[in-house]
Amino acid sequence: MTINFKSYIPFFAGIVLLFAACSKNDDYAVPTPKNQLQNDCIKRSLGPNVVGGYIEFAYAMAIPKAKGKLVSAQVEASIPGGAGTYLENRSFYTNSSGVDVPVKIGDPSVTNGNVTTTNFTVDTNAATLRFFYQAPDAARGKQVSFTFTAKSSNGETVTYKMGPYSVSKMDMALDLGVTDADSSYISIADMKVYRRSQPVDPAKIDLIYMYRTFTTVTYKHALVAPAAPKDYLTDFVVPAGATNDVRLVKAFNLRDQQLARLPYGIFIDDPDFLAQDFTNTPDYFLNIKQEAGAWIETADGKYRAYIYFNVVDDTKKRMTISIKRYTMK
Amino acid sequence: MKKYIIISALFMACISILSGCKKDDTPVDEDGLLITTRTDCYVSNFELLGPDFQTVRSKAPVIDTAAGTINQEVLYGTDLRSVWPQFSLAQDCKLNPKVTGKTDFSDLANPRQYTVISGNRQIRKTYKVIITVQTR
Repeated sequence: MTINFKSYIPFFAGIVLLFAACSKNDDYAVPTPKNQLQNDCIKRSLGPNVVGGYIEFAYAMAIPKAKGKLVSAQVEASIPGGAGTYLENRSFYTNSSGVDVPVKIGDPSVTNGNVTTTNFTVDTNAATLRFFYQAPDAARGKQVSFTFTAKSSNGETVTYKMGPYSVSKMDMALDLGVTDADSSYISIADMKVYRRSQPVDPAKIDLIYMYRTFTTVTYKHALVAPAAPKDYLTDFVVPAGATNDVRLVKAFNLRDQQLARLPYGIFIDDPDFLAQDFTNTPDYFLNIKQEAGAWIETADGKYRAYIYFNVVDDTKKRMTISIKRYTMK
Repeated sequence: MKKYIIISALFMACISILSGCKKDDTPVDEDGLLITTRTDCYVSNFELLGPDFQTVRSKAPVIDTAAGTINQEVLYGTDLRSVWPQFSLAQDCKLNPKVTGKTDFSDLANPRQYTVISGNRQIRKTYKVIITVQTR
């Protein structure tokens, strides 16, 4: 009898594999902390970065006590931020009740061009500072990135790069009040509400807000274009020269977090405006409900907007609205 | 011994080939839907949604199977150019034409017609959807 050794090769290979699978894992070792100045950063704000809005970061830095203390923290943005840009001079910790408690670590930050600096005035070797970058108009449609730097008393310096982050092209206006009594005219071009009692350029009136009740039908809160059928304008006297005819698509359950400031993870960004289809859509919206919304295209096609209805008050015949607007042309 | 193993392997292969060739006796139609023996053929409910996917009905529909009509009143101000009809049908039925999205119901003088086809695909019932809008 002859033994064919080749036929046993798979068997031996299997045995080797079994032993390899059973090899003991190395013991876990607690990592040794770095004995130097260190830093870390996270982006806290969510959703699209809108011009005028804030991009928020939390920048943490620490050095072993024996090595020294923190001296300064600074952030350099690739595009200088708006007037509201600042680096916190308070470090926060969360107490047992879940409340963020501030501890002052220095003077308020100073911004020079695109660099924002906070100098430490207390003897501390660990801090987490929040940075609020107000997106300027210069950053619209562009990308912005940040370099965070911390310095310690022993001369060490560490940096942490964040971004790039895209800044949206769209604009945002929050909490505009409209009333049936007076503040009835909405201008998408200006992102403003105009009063009936004051002179207003009729060409700027894109929508008219009114509140009406009828016994036979439900009308209540309504947005109607000046050029809408007379039936939907009811008894409202449209100013002479107001002929804008916006297109409008109703939306429900589209509670943009930045407009609603409610805990829904929905964000409307630039591409959403481009995706809307305004073919065969009306120029009025009757019986508006709170937390609903409407996509709008202006008569000249220059702007598309999303209006969110924050508050709808039957008793006072008023609404609070917030708008995101995208310039098409 | 080897001979028996080969024979049993061949036997098993034959069985699997034969079972694989078994004729499927559950017919399906051109849409891939199962054709059954059911003869029920009617619309049990009708819904109409606006662009925000909220109902635009002001009251429940009146469905007359004998007359083949669905009478539906919608809210004042409803824009009927882009509404989304939804039909509830008897079991195994299907609808022709298919509802594929927003539909224009604005031509009130010429109501849209939909045909229900029974589960056995032998019975057809056409319904006329008559929309009326609330008036002020």
